[in-house]
Amino acid sequence: MILLENVYYKYEPEGIEALRGISLQVREGEHLALIGPNGCGKTTLIRHLNALLLPASGKVTVGGRNTNDPKHQADIRTFVGMVFQNPDNQIVGMTVEEDVAFGPENLRLPTMEIKKRVAETLGRVGISELACRNIENLSGGEKRLVAIAGVLAMRPRYIALDEPTVFLDPAASIRVLGIIDKLHSEGVGIIHITHNMAEAALTQRIVVMNEGRIYLDGTPQEIFEKFGMLKQIGMQLPQVTELLIKLKESGFSVRTDIVKMEDALEQIRSLAGKFKV
Amino acid sequence: MYHTGVFINGQSPIYKLDPRIKLAATICLSVFILWVKPLIAFVIGIALFCTVLVSGISLRTIGQALKPLLFFIVLIFLVHALFSKGEALVSIPYLGLSLSYTGLQQGFFVIWRFLCLIVAAVLLTLTTTPSQMIAAIKYFLRPLKLLRIPVDDIAVMIMLALRLMPILLTEKERVEIAQKARGYNLRQSGFIIRIKTFLSLASTILSGVFRRADELALAMEARNYRRGERTSLVELRLTSPDYFVLIFLGIFSVIFIALNYYFS
Repeated sequence: MILLENVYYKYEPEGIEALRGISLQVREGEHLALIGPNGCGKTTLIRHLNALLLPASGKVTVGGRNTNDPKHQADIRTFVGMVFQNPDNQIVGMTVEEDVAFGPENLRLPTMEIKKRVAETLGRVGISELACRNIENLSGGEKRLVAIAGVLAMRPRYIALDEPTVFLDPAASIRVLGIIDKLHSEGVGIIHITHNMAEAALTQRIVVMNEGRIYLDGTPQEIFEKFGMLKQIGMQLPQVTELLIKLKESGFSVRTDIVKMEDALEQIRSLAGKFKV
Repeated sequence: MYHTGVFINGQSPIYKLDPRIKLAATICLSVFILWVKPLIAFVIGIALFCTVLVSGISLRTIGQALKPLLFFIVLIFLVHALFSKGEALVSIPYLGLSLSYTGLQQGFFVIWRFLCLIVAAVLLTLTTTPSQMIAAIKYFLRPLKLLRIPVDDIAVMIMLALRLMPILLTEKERVEIAQKARGYNLRQSGFIIRIKTFLSLASTILSGVFRRADELALAMEARNYRRGERTSLVELRLTSPDYFVLIFLGIFSVIFIALNYYFS
């Protein structure tokens, strides 16, 4: 489990307070979306989860280990993998397999174990055919998958992803989201920063941040029901939810806590059924 | 897209050789190319050409690798052809230069050696993955550990330098496009404006590269990178083809040395 207790963090020397008393618990195997306006502290928060940043005050405990304790940091970084926003700033190797091997090499695993992990991870992410490809010849979506594989090869219990679908075309986004979904179904805990409400709607829990604090926390239905509060901080709703709200405002009797396309379609079909001649 | 000296995936026997053997052979061959008599260098060149043919690397790719050096190759040839002493075949009276048979011969052998060196290096990098190369360098640098030189860190530094090279080029292209998009035309600009533009280009690229390097360091830390010893994906193990190449190289080295003394 990951536990944050009253965490404060300030960027020095600017003195910008990025986190202001964050308390959060993320259970193992949970799929959590972290949303909020730019500069609200989402990236700062996830960087606390694998001890890249340490709280100025408060406590972060990952799998029972305090991130402030230097002797636990290696274990913590294996426990929580971090996928950065720009894969070009994360990928170290020249070829796909070299990059995926980077983490296991740092863990000082024997060569045979590294080879096994690389093959297994590439298969898990569905990019085995790219193993010997040069990083520079990959598409944006493929690089994103390599970045995920590079983290997965360390066999983390959680993965924190910083906007994994940003700058990707729809097909590549769907592929990346499919892999994230698969990892979640395999029991990996996912903490997923996004600005895309449709993506957030697919998770189990949404945490909305604003000005370094947790603004809302709940299931996608609970969060999107509070659309007034979301709009106050400049956030939008998933298009399907927005559509149902507009229908309700126009006098139609529809549920507005729907976040998925299939459920919305069902609502609209039942509504159309009532008007059938 | 092909970048000069970047590994190309392949299956020929050269790919399967141990990187230490390839690296040692390239260094050994380079010493011979520079040291031996022109005629023997010519034979080495022919042998190198045959190696390229069996490597599975197309001659076109080798040509692409040589293309950026074409200007220097021509320049080196001309300098030798025009400035070497010898009986003049053609004279250029106004410039006081003359083209001699000795000059032409000298120019040919100098660029032949130069081409052999480049082809040997290109062949090595095209058939060896960077991680194999780094593992080989790390192996040869191992004795330096006794002097407390951080060999593992040096290996990571080489890997990062190789990784950042294409990123640096992409960054340069990105900034150039941004400058063009805002109306800057290099061909129509004067010298001072060109200098100013170059300085602004360099500072923008450098700040971008430092930002990326910062982020990369953080990402490496996130993947548990610590200074000191690391294990490797690459397994260095000599197999029978490696021993065969070693014996082959040994025999040829002796022959080359003997021939070199014979012709001197």
